[in-house]
Amino acid sequence: MDMVFQLLFQGIGIGSVYALVALGFVLIFRATNVVNFAQGEFSMVAAFLMVIFSVDLEWPYWISFLLSLGGMAIYGALFNLGVYFPLRHRTYLPVIISTIGASILVSNSTLALYGPQPQVLQPLLDFPGFNIGTVYLDAQYLLIIGLTVVLVAFQYWFFEHTLLGKKLQATSQDKEMASLLGIPVATMIMLTFVYSAMIGGLAGILVAPILFVSIHMGGTIALKAFAATIIGGFGDVAGAIIGGLALGVIETFGAAYVSVPYKDGFAFLVLVAFLVFRPQGIFGERVAEKA
Amino acid sequence: MPLIELKNVSVRYGEIEALRGVSLSVEAGEVVTLLGGNGAGKSTTLRAISGLTKPASGEIIFEGKSMTGLGPEEIVRLGIAHVPEGRRVFPGLTAHENIMLGASNRSGVSKDQIDQEADAMFDLFSDIRPFQHVLGWTLSGGQQQMVAVARGLMAKPKLLLLDEPSLGLAPVIVSKVFEIIKEIRRRGTTVLLVEQNARMGLSVADRGYVLETGRLVVTGKPDELWNNEDVRAAYLGGHARTAAKA
Repeated sequence: MDMVFQLLFQGIGIGSVYALVALGFVLIFRATNVVNFAQGEFSMVAAFLMVIFSVDLEWPYWISFLLSLGGMAIYGALFNLGVYFPLRHRTYLPVIISTIGASILVSNSTLALYGPQPQVLQPLLDFPGFNIGTVYLDAQYLLIIGLTVVLVAFQYWFFEHTLLGKKLQATSQDKEMASLLGIPVATMIMLTFVYSAMIGGLAGILVAPILFVSIHMGGTIALKAFAATIIGGFGDVAGAIIGGLALGVIETFGAAYVSVPYKDGFAFLVLVAFLVFRPQGIFGERVAEKA
Repeated sequence: MPLIELKNVSVRYGEIEALRGVSLSVEAGEVVTLLGGNGAGKSTTLRAISGLTKPASGEIIFEGKSMTGLGPEEIVRLGIAHVPEGRRVFPGLTAHENIMLGASNRSGVSKDQIDQEADAMFDLFSDIRPFQHVLGWTLSGGQQQMVAVARGLMAKPKLLLLDEPSLGLAPVIVSKVFEIIKEIRRRGTTVLLVEQNARMGLSVADRGYVLETGRLVVTGKPDELWNNEDVRAAYLGGHARTAAKA
């Protein structure tokens, strides 16, 4: 029984990371109707920023953390201006190609700068963790889960209780109508990219001490997050969170009870099962776009 | 000086010329109705005014200033609110939230004030008061139309553009919508109204224009238009008139 709790804890921890990245996916998808294939690189770039600030420059951890998040805000803004904005009046296809191009460019630039060898990042907290009974609660996993809860709560408050949140929702539902009301659509989309880059970046920084920091980490995380959004119901915010957590738990249990080498395989097995049997995901498409 | 004036405005959608040199004007305080059949260019005229569609040629002058090159976000800040065809209520936001967002063109207004103004809208639109916390997509067509008009009024517009407010609504709801237009008129807001329902459209108007395949064919007072052969012809698709000419 303790084994089950142990795995559940770790599954929810890693699932939180998928949930954060999936959230970024969904927000950009809802604002632009385009899947951002460079979403995983948000996490990768943030992790490398952490490596630059805290390992290379040896700045204090928390300052590096805040600087990296600030850097991701700028990165999100530049990403919007360079990758999406020039193509905003085109169909979704050129934009998708553009995000794929950005993904390749960013990972290879990082490869050129840092080489293929993975970097190591220390955990954010000094103490390693503690036991409850025989269940070991790792501090980094606790931090991930805690920050995810805070962020999801913040996001809920922001979208449901602020006028800016409502304007962002309006923009994602009908851009033309939003602009007719005087909502600055380009600014709303810019904010979406900035926020999406920051939560993707946060996920990258949090998961970096567990995985290694490498140019491939973005691709792996993005694929899992993408699977999470399919499982939850594409475009659904709650679905992204539930899907991410479910995926983390499933692959952790799969690795423990079935096979460790096939750990990543379980995520995609679940993805394929959903695509075949319930392509609309757990939450389906609740909001009919056209009433 | 008219509040708004269109001078020789033409609009193209690719090969198709949707508006061919349309000139019209609306004085402050007037309600003017644009009539015409399907594809006559009524909605295109409104879209050109609110900046959704860029005219290929011609000029649109609002309060004596040219609006050439302005986008919809800037135009609504000048005081022109467009309630477009199909109502376009945000499906995932409540009626109340939809109406609040109508004030997005006004700067320096607090959220509390917008909230109170939105509450006050339900005095004019009392039918939708019970549905104010219901999501947009669950509202009926008539309720959505009222939300859309209320949202337009939240902009405190000098000119309100209403595109086919009667479309797809039951007759009893249509008369309610037109009662509201009469009330808006009493409060002194200038309205440019597009309607296929000529009788209703003219019943609230000071003047009317009739559009036919992208051109203005006739203008006048409501009773003049109502008794005009061309108006009837325009509503029958214009074939009678063309045939008579040939």
